Amino acid sequence: MKFLSKINLQYLVTLTVLLIFTAAAGYLVLQKILKSEMREDIFEKEYAIIQEIKTSGILPNIYPIIETKKIDKSRMEAKSYKELYLNDEAEGEKEPYLEYTNTVLINGQYYLIKIRHSLLENDDLLLAIALPLLLLLVLIFIISFLVTSRLNKTVWRDFETNLKQIERFSFGNKQPLKLKKSNIEEFDRLNKTINQLTKKLQSDYQSLKEFTENASHEIQTPLSIILLNLEEMLQQDLPKDTFKRVIVTINSVKRLSALNKSLLLLSKIENKQFEAKSRLNLTELLLVKLDEFKPLLEKNNISVDVVRSGDFQVDINAQLAEVLINNLLSNAIKHNVSNGKILIDVNASGLKICNTGRKTMLTNQTIFNRFTKENSQSYGLGLAIVKQICVAHSLQINYGFTDVHCFEVKVV
Amino acid sequence: MKILIVEDEIELLIAVSNYLTREKYICEMAESFQKAVEKLSVYEYDVILLDITLPDGNGLDLIKLIKQYNLPAGLIILSAKDSLDDKINGLDLGADDYLTKPFQLSELNSRIKAVLRRRKYDGTTLIKFNEITVNTDSKEVKVNNKPIRLTKKEYDMLLYFIINKNRVLTKEAIAEHLWDDNIDLADNFDFIYTHLNNLRRKIKSKNGNNYIQTIYGMGYKFTDQ
Repeated sequence: MKFLSKINLQYLVTLTVLLIFTAAAGYLVLQKILKSEMREDIFEKEYAIIQEIKTSGILPNIYPIIETKKIDKSRMEAKSYKELYLNDEAEGEKEPYLEYTNTVLINGQYYLIKIRHSLLENDDLLLAIALPLLLLLVLIFIISFLVTSRLNKTVWRDFETNLKQIERFSFGNKQPLKLKKSNIEEFDRLNKTINQLTKKLQSDYQSLKEFTENASHEIQTPLSIILLNLEEMLQQDLPKDTFKRVIVTINSVKRLSALNKSLLLLSKIENKQFEAKSRLNLTELLLVKLDEFKPLLEKNNISVDVVRSGDFQVDINAQLAEVLINNLLSNAIKHNVSNGKILIDVNASGLKICNTGRKTMLTNQTIFNRFTKENSQSYGLGLAIVKQICVAHSLQINYGFTDVHCFEVKVV
Repeated sequence: MKILIVEDEIELLIAVSNYLTREKYICEMAESFQKAVEKLSVYEYDVILLDITLPDGNGLDLIKLIKQYNLPAGLIILSAKDSLDDKINGLDLGADDYLTKPFQLSELNSRIKAVLRRRKYDGTTLIKFNEITVNTDSKEVKVNNKPIRLTKKEYDMLLYFIINKNRVLTKEAIAEHLWDDNIDLADNFDFIYTHLNNLRRKIKSKNGNNYIQTIYGMGYKFTDQ
């Protein structure tokens, strides 16, 4: 709910409650006034009737307002008020009346006087009070609506623009946030704070990014020197033992370097540093990569079945797309058995790569974690990278095991 | 062939220079952007090996400078950054190749030779090793003047061997050379045996010698000594 709507709603609720109380109080007070006015009126009429009887001896009778008759002493009635409904000939419905009954003694004769006063119907009265109040409520509602939409167009417009800017803000983007000045103290204070915060965030992010990258690059240089020197050592006539050690060391250095590169890649994906995106056909890419992997497949005698029922098109960074397919395919080969199979099913909404392998299911929760490895040969980063690439491109990755190990990438 | 190596890491500079000198190149070294500019203004080089992260300047600016003055040298970027953007940038600016650190010397040599071939500095596209002749233009291989048909991988392997003759090469280095850049080979290097054996067999079929020596089952050397 918008800020202004919320305030308006609060106003309206309070106002409605207030108006109901006012209406109730008004109703009660009005009723009381009317009753006392009525009694005064009745007494005046009674006095007039008594005078009439005294002077002229005529009994005035105007139905249903005035009724007078002579009575015996035995049939005397005490002074009383009562409310009753009488048929109203004019309107053809029952109307409420206040009936005043009294017995008076005039010149030794008892007279029964009944004076009735038409009561205003309760709902009529209520309506008379509620209607103007309701009208007031509607009027206030309309006015507040107009004021709100006007405020939205003026005061809140800058706020909305700024909000949109903040929503679009990305750390990877080096441009600072440019918030519009609104000349409203609270908003400008908020803008100032946000500007400071984002500036700090941006510089922190930048330095963290640079640190990760620099550290990673600085590691590659000494590794290069180690590697070059080891390679030169290999050129001398070495005894088998030493030769073997040098080779093992070379391979370890290469692993270290590859590990370093993978970690750098992972942090770059997580930091959303791969921004350039284009629409790529992953089906095509998969087939090209499959061809490149041929020697490995042939060597392990792994057969590949491809079911291609559509082109899987994704908006993805080209380098990452390649890494994604590479990792999935090399994973399917690495953890396969000789004379095994790879089953690939690719369609417009996703791709599925299944491979034969160990007959037990892998742990679904940890399989995409870093450094989860099945054997000491891998770094345990391949699938973590796959997962991060998927997350970065709003793709879903699932692992399942039904006799074969399956990895499925699809559009969310 | 004259090579300029621009690299701020002295140890690396010396290691590369020593190796290339032994490979009969004339090497000059520059450990900073400024030094490189000085050298380039005085001498001509056939190939420049260039580290793009220099303490006093960006190697990419050096490429712009080289292109601006139309220097004929071939350019190979040596970078610690394994980033596609940098690679594309470098190649767009006119570099011939991009090698990511850490690299192996045999791979570097092979890339230098490829750049030289492309620029036809040798004046010839024929590479000879005793009875084996490789025409790098038509990709034809002849043994005792009789052509043999090699697959692309076998051809690449033979060329790599000849360029790095008399040098011990690990099977990993050979596999990585044959393989396209991004593929994670892990420990699946053994597939090169097939290519290796096919290559040996095809050369032998035209009465060629087996120059591929196996060293302790872990490395290879292409040599006639």
